[in-house]
This record gives sequence, structure tokens and C-alpha cells, in this order.
Amino acid sequence: MVVEAPARGIRTHPLDPKYRNRHPKVEHRMTHESGGGRLVVDGLEKHYELDGAEVPVVKGVTFTIEPGTFTSLLGPSGCGKTTTLRCVAGLENSNGGEISLDGNVLSTGTRHISPDKRDIGMVFQNYAIWPHMTVFANAVFPLQVAAGKLPKKEARKRAMEALELVQLDSYAHRPATALSGGQQQRLALARALAHRPKLLLLDEPLSNLDAKLRDTMRNELRSLQQRLGITALYVTHDQSEALSMSDRVAVMNQGRIVQEAAPRDLYYQPADRFVADFVGRVNMIPAVVRGRDGDGDALVEAFGARLVTPCPDTFGTGADVTVTFRPESVRWHEVAPDRPNLLPARVVRVEFLGEIVEYEAEILSGQTAVGTIVGRGAPLNSPSLGDPIFIELTPQACRVLAA
Amino acid sequence: MKIATIIAGAVIFLLLAIPLAVQVITAFRGPFLPFGVSTAKWSVENFVTLWSLRDDFWAVLGSTAAFVGGSTVLSLLMAFGLAWVTVRTDAPLRRVISVLVVVPFIIPPIVKAQAYLLMLSPESGVLNQLLRLLPGDLVIDPYSFVTMTVIQALTNVTFPYLMIVPILTSMDGSLEESARVSGASWAKTLRRVTLPMLWPGLLGVAVLTFILGLGSLEVPLLFGQESGKSIFALKLWNLISAGAGELPQYGLAAAWGCVFLVITTIAFVIYLRATRNAERRASISGKGFRPTVMKLGAWKIPVMLAILVFVMLTAVLPLFALFWSAITPYPIAFSFEALVTQTQFGSFGAVLADPEFWASLGRTLVIAGGSATIACVAATVLAYGIARARRTGWTKAVDLFASSSVAIPAVIAGFAMFLTFMVINPVIPLAGTIVALIIAYSYRVSIAYRAGYSATLQIRMELEEAALVSGASPFEGFRRIVAPLLMPTVFAVWIQMFVLGTNEFTLPAFLATPESRPLSVYMYAMISPRSAQLYQPDQGAAMALIFTLLVFAIGYGLQWVVSLFAIGRAKRRNPIPGVGTADVVPPADPVAPDTRAVAAQDLEERRQLARR
Repeated sequence: MVVEAPARGIRTHPLDPKYRNRHPKVEHRMTHESGGGRLVVDGLEKHYELDGAEVPVVKGVTFTIEPGTFTSLLGPSGCGKTTTLRCVAGLENSNGGEISLDGNVLSTGTRHISPDKRDIGMVFQNYAIWPHMTVFANAVFPLQVAAGKLPKKEARKRAMEALELVQLDSYAHRPATALSGGQQQRLALARALAHRPKLLLLDEPLSNLDAKLRDTMRNELRSLQQRLGITALYVTHDQSEALSMSDRVAVMNQGRIVQEAAPRDLYYQPADRFVADFVGRVNMIPAVVRGRDGDGDALVEAFGARLVTPCPDTFGTGADVTVTFRPESVRWHEVAPDRPNLLPARVVRVEFLGEIVEYEAEILSGQTAVGTIVGRGAPLNSPSLGDPIFIELTPQACRVLAA
Repeated sequence: MKIATIIAGAVIFLLLAIPLAVQVITAFRGPFLPFGVSTAKWSVENFVTLWSLRDDFWAVLGSTAAFVGGSTVLSLLMAFGLAWVTVRTDAPLRRVISVLVVVPFIIPPIVKAQAYLLMLSPESGVLNQLLRLLPGDLVIDPYSFVTMTVIQALTNVTFPYLMIVPILTSMDGSLEESARVSGASWAKTLRRVTLPMLWPGLLGVAVLTFILGLGSLEVPLLFGQESGKSIFALKLWNLISAGAGELPQYGLAAAWGCVFLVITTIAFVIYLRATRNAERRASISGKGFRPTVMKLGAWKIPVMLAILVFVMLTAVLPLFALFWSAITPYPIAFSFEALVTQTQFGSFGAVLADPEFWASLGRTLVIAGGSATIACVAATVLAYGIARARRTGWTKAVDLFASSSVAIPAVIAGFAMFLTFMVINPVIPLAGTIVALIIAYSYRVSIAYRAGYSATLQIRMELEEAALVSGASPFEGFRRIVAPLLMPTVFAVWIQMFVLGTNEFTLPAFLATPESRPLSVYMYAMISPRSAQLYQPDQGAAMALIFTLLVFAIGYGLQWVVSLFAIGRAKRRNPIPGVGTADVVPPADPVAPDTRAVAAQDLEERRQLARR
């Protein structure tokens, strides 16, 4: 007998096959006219004034989010991702470029529609739950104010619907301050969804939660977004959040989008060293291209040894490159098998992390260490400190980037 | 919102800048009056006169420094000790003590000064009577300089106490604990960690207490005339209330005012630097924090005795002296025989039957309420605008200016307002009216401004932005999010300013006429032997008691109403129709605390907030 795991957090919903209508008179069609909008950001520019000088923060950011998909802006702090989000929300006025939602221009460099007329929902980093209101009053607010004003009954119905969606309906008339962190987070989400916006903006919403709750909320958020089919733009500096939740991830650095791709492509085919380093952990090996073999793979020289690796044709012989290699792809042997890309090494650090073991090995050239490689593997199969081993960098797992 | 900010800024600017400008112009123009007099011309004559009387000038400066400085140090020491005992020790009855200590705050200073005068009377004063019970031949001379200084310190001690308590409460105890763990003794921790950490905050309190002491007229007026030492506040008062046949020396008084404004400006700069440092060093930690409590042990008894003496001196004996004075027709020493034969309670009835009492009480309420409202509304709007604006040189200047009224001693403000209304009287005849008093009382606007500013900073931007992206217009966001969140602060400040207003004596002493005088001035007229026809010491004392009771009732009554309002709002969270709650068991959330406990705690916090 197959026991289905309970979908924690997501109460049955109109879009759910096991939907159970607890308010029979209320027609539940959360998404009937919201669905998702198509967000186009084209050449967004934003600079701040600092002591009379203009400091560019966002330098020509361009991306499109297809209706109903989930896109993350990922980047280190100060890369302009939050500013981009706030420009989309209308909380900051951009200095150039165009933002449009479903063809409606929200903002050009000179003309801006105010945030209250943009038909968006937003979840803030600190939730921004209004402390002087009840849970219900928080959720119903977007339906009472000018832009989304509804008849009282309808507003109440929709607010309860939104609360039910995040499993807070039974808390409706508690003071909002009596909620725990995770509940406040869900309330913020309900409030952002209550007026059925075309676009949901999320500004690092999980960063204030503890690790375990963060994982739960991540799943809830993602499945909610998929059920409702709403378009979502998510800002985060946490690569695991971005990779696990998104349809597309745009990595930002210094005000520009460096790479936009599906999570897997981003991880396995990073466009440059920054992306490779920022998304996941990576070994970077400086190398020089020495030639090509018969299969079109390049022969590169690194650590005084020859490595075989696939390599774009743009790198000719003699070019300085970086070979990147994920730690979990590193294999190690006590005895060298008859395969390419084997480097003699000595284990200098072994760290037990629970589900995996991370080890660091010095690559030896003769008796001198010429570099280190970090590997990760299952705990049962890990080298011991001080062991002489052979590191294998499988050619298919190598990726060559510009130096 | 922008227009409202500009209007509020303009109101505050007019309130503060014009009187000071008029005073400075008066100092440099003369003789007699700066405007509307054909003989008036620009001159430094007033300063020349001031310099030619330099012996007098130095004497006043010296005695003022000794008087204000001494009383400031004394009241700071007492306030710090009391605050420490109530916040940081395990002294028994801490809650009772912390309430008793605040009682003197609601006794108007002029009433307190009068009560001390009665207490210290060499023949009939209750304190001197008590001292005679002790061995030795101790009699306190009420008019000695030291007595005056101590009384000033006792009159003003509540103000620094109320400011030091939050500083001590918000101090992060873990800093001290780490010093203790590192091996430092209590005394060493206090000296090496606690005091250096509190120092900037305490310096700020010291400066404000100093300016308050410099500006208050009550004690110098009641004690100073006889003591022979001239204190600045009294000097200013004497210069403009000239005897018959002389011209009041407005120009010279303005010159005096300018000199002391320079002094308080320097003090204000020190205050700004101190508080800036205090903000930098602020170690206010998050929730669930409790300051570590010092065990008194054997010190319990001396500490409690000291507190008993303090409460006797500041609350019990003054009130008793007033009561005794109210029930005896002329000053007699307390004795049980006198209690049986001499007492009469007619003075209370006489006060209550006096129509002028009711009229001046009404004026007091109107003036205090009106000025508190003006100051709170203008200050809150401006504070919100400035706190939310981008910081530029311009907003910094406005911020500084709006905070600057704490640097103006009340006596200078009263004098400057008096000059201003006299000068504009031909055009806008307000001099001596209730409106003039309302405007003058509003000069304490900085209290409300600072409170509004920090309250706005505590409302995170995100809360307003959340309203915006939810589709609310900026005005709706302000009305539904910001205003309700600012309200508790505004109410608290309003009550504070209202009580201050009802207690105010210095300002109306300069500004009020018999037609517009508030209760404090009317009462002074009754107890001052100088006002021959009104002199009724027993009725004056009875009125002082009634007045104190009224201020007490009003202050606490208002807080009670506000707390009812807050609790009512918490209770009014009606179940939302269409939602069953009783039958729905909330899903267990592992990290959720017991929400009912949290709600109860929240309610309790609201109550305490309202009580404060």
C-alpha cells in the first residue's frame, strides 16, 4: 500500500485534485483571472547619488519572465538584485530602461507608474507584517485599499481564501504579532497573493528563518507558485534556494546579469569563473592549452601534468585558461587505474560533515605540492589523512573557462 | 505629505526663531523698545552697560554657576542612585519606590517651592521642628545659598530620574556579566564597564538637567529675593519687573539673555555630541533581555533608609506642610494641641467657592491642552517628514533646529515671547491673551519632535512599502499603517506635555495678565506676600493641594483612558464572520510558541506601554 506523504503547508486548494471546499458558498478560483503576467525588463539602469557623485547600481539589466514561471535573481550582496526588484515593484524609480508587465509599460527611465497601480504582490525580507492589525486585517488590506477595492463580503471571502492557502485561516483574528516567524512569513505570502496579482515579488523572504524551516518553506513556496501558476521573481543570495526553486536563474554581479539559465545549466555550464565560483563549490585549476587530441578535446597543462578536457574552440593553443571541476565529481584511488587525468596527491584535510565527507588533497609534482584539490564523497568511502592517493578528474566533468 | 511637512516646519520655525530673533534685536537696539519707537537705533549700548556693571555680572554668573551646577550634580547623583536601586538591585518594594519617586513630578514646581518654604520656616516649619527633636542645635536657614541649591536639586530630581531609568533598563547586561566572568568585582565592573558605557547618556541627561535648572524661576523667585544672591533667572525677572516710576530695562535684560543663550548653546552642542556617542554605543539588545540584578545584602537597610528620607523630603513632608498650612489661619508650629484647637477646614471650601479659581483652572486646561496639541501635531508631522526624507544638509539643519528648543531655558523663552508679543501687539494684539500663552507653551516642541522622530525611525520602511505594493496610495498608507503605529507615542508625549503645561509657572510669570493667568500664577499671587490684596496663605496652600490632586488625576486619568483604548482595541478583534474557530484545531507548528501566551504577553506589554 502506498501511503502518500501529506503535502505539508498547502491545504487542499481549488486547483488541487483533493480539494475540499470548506466554504461551500464561496467560489474558489484563486487564479481565475490572475494567472501570471509576462514580465519584461529591458536595459534597466539605476544609479544612486552619493556625496554628489552618481554611483551606478544596476547597469542595463535585461530579462524576461514567461507567464507562470519562477525566476530567481542570484548574486552577492551589493550586486543590484534587490534594487532591480524594487524597481520592478516601483519602490525605486529607475533611471533608464523599460519595465513592462503583460505589455503594460510600468516604468521607463522618466515615467513611472506608482507601486499601488502595478498589480503586483510582494513579500519583504522582514515580512513587513503590520503589527497593529490582526492576521485577517493584514490579509484583507490589499482588497480594501483604493487600487483593489472590493465589496466587503467579497474582500473577506478572498482574504480568507488567501489565508487558507497558507494554512493560517484558523489564526485569522489573532494579533499578527502573536505569530511565529514561519507563520508571519506565510501571512506575508497570503497578503501578497490576496488581490490576485499578476506578478509575485519575493525579496529574500527566507533569510530570516532557521535552516529547517527554510527548507520547508522553500518547498511550500515553490509548490504554491506552481499550483497558482503565478509569475514569480525571487531575489536571493543563497544559491541552494535559487537552484531548488527556480525555472530560470539569473546570476548578477556588479549591476549586470552575468548568466541566465535553467538551474542545471547554470551549475554544470557556468559562463565564467564568477558564476562557477558563486553557484556551488568549485576547484579552479589554472592551465595552459597545449593542443588538441583526435576527439576534439583539448590537452591542457596544469600542475605540471597533462589533462584531457572538452574545450571550446575559441581557446587556441597557448591560451591561458581555468579548468573548473566540482568537488563531488572528484574521484580518488589508492592505486592509479589506467585512465587519463590522474594526479598524484596527498590528503591534507578530511572533514566529516554528516552525509558527506570533504577532503583536501595536495597535488604533488615529485615531492613538492603544486596546488590543492577539494573533493567530496560518501563518508564510507573517504581517504584518510596523510594517505598518498591519486586524484582523477574525469574529462567529461571538466569545464574550461577563460582565465 | 510634503506640503504638510513644510507647513509643520514653518510653524515650528516661527515658534522658535521669531522670539529669539526679537530678543537678539532688542539686545542690539534701544533704548527702551526696538520697534515702533522713533528714537530706537542700532547700538551695543546694552552690552556696554552690562560690561560697566561687570562686578554685578560676574557675581550673577558665579552664583548662577554654583546654584545651577550644584543642584544639577546633586539631583543627578540622587536620580542615578534611585534609578540604580529601582532598576538594578533586589531592594524590596522596588515597584512601590519607583511609583513614589515619580510623585514629586506631578507636584507643580511652584507648589513644591512653596512647600519647602513652609517646611523650612525656622519657627513653624515641620522640617526644622523634626530637626529639633534630634540632639544638637540644628536649624536650617531657608534663605541660605546651600539650602536653596539643595531645594532646587530636590525640585528637579524627577526629571533626570525619568531619563536615567530607560538608560539603565536598556543596557545589555551581558556586557557586565562578561566583565564579572573575567574576574572583575561589582565595584570594578561598575567603574570600568558600566559607567564608561553609560557616560554619554548620562552626560546628555546632565546637560538637559542643567538647562532645565537654569531656566526655572520658581526656587530663585521664592528663595532668592531674600538670600541676597542673584541668580540669572531672578536677575532677568527683576530687570523687567521694575518698580514704580522706573522704566523696565528690556534692552539690558535681552543682553543678559543673549549671554546665557551662548552658554546654553555650548551646553546643547555638548548634549548633541553626547547623544550621538550614546547612539553609537547603544547596546540595546533584543527581546527577553533583563538587566542583571545586584544583591544588596547588608546594604539593604542603609539603602532603604536613604530612600525613606528621600521620599519624606520630596513627597510626604512637602504635602504635609501644605496641608498644615491650609488648615491653620496663620503660620504656627505643628502640635497636637494646635491640631485640636487651631485647625479649620474653611480654606478648602473658600477655594472651591472662588470663581477665579475655576476660571484660572479652565484657562490652565485650555492652555496646556492647546499647546500640547499644537506641539504634538506639528512636531509629529515634521518628524515623520524629516525621518523619511533623504538626509541632506537641509534636512539635517531642520532636524537640528527642531530639536533646539531644549537648549532654550524656560526663563529666556518666556522673556523672548513676552518681548515678541509686545512688539507685534500693534499689528496682532495678542499680548497677555490666552492665545499668547498657548503659543508660548508650545515652545517645548522639541520634546515631541524627538519622540516623533525616533518613533518614526522604529517603523520600518518595509511596513509602508508593503502598503504601497498592496495597492494603497501613499496617503492611505500613512493613515492606515503609520498613523496607528505612531499614535501610542504621540499620546504619551501629549500627556507629558499636557502635565508639563499645567505645571508651568515660568512662562506665564512673564506673559500672563490677571485676565489670562493660569492656576499656577494665581496660586503664586495668593502665597506671595508681595501681592498684598490677594495674600491668603491658607487658601494658597489649599489651592496648591487641590491643584496637585487635579494634575495627578488628569495625568493618570488620561493614561488610564489611553490604556483602556489600547486594551479595548486588542479586545475588539472580533471573530471574523464565516470563520469557525472553536471547532478548528490549529495545525501544530513546531516552532510556533503558545499563541495565547504570546497574545496575553502582548496585551500586558500594551498595558505597560500605556501606563508609561
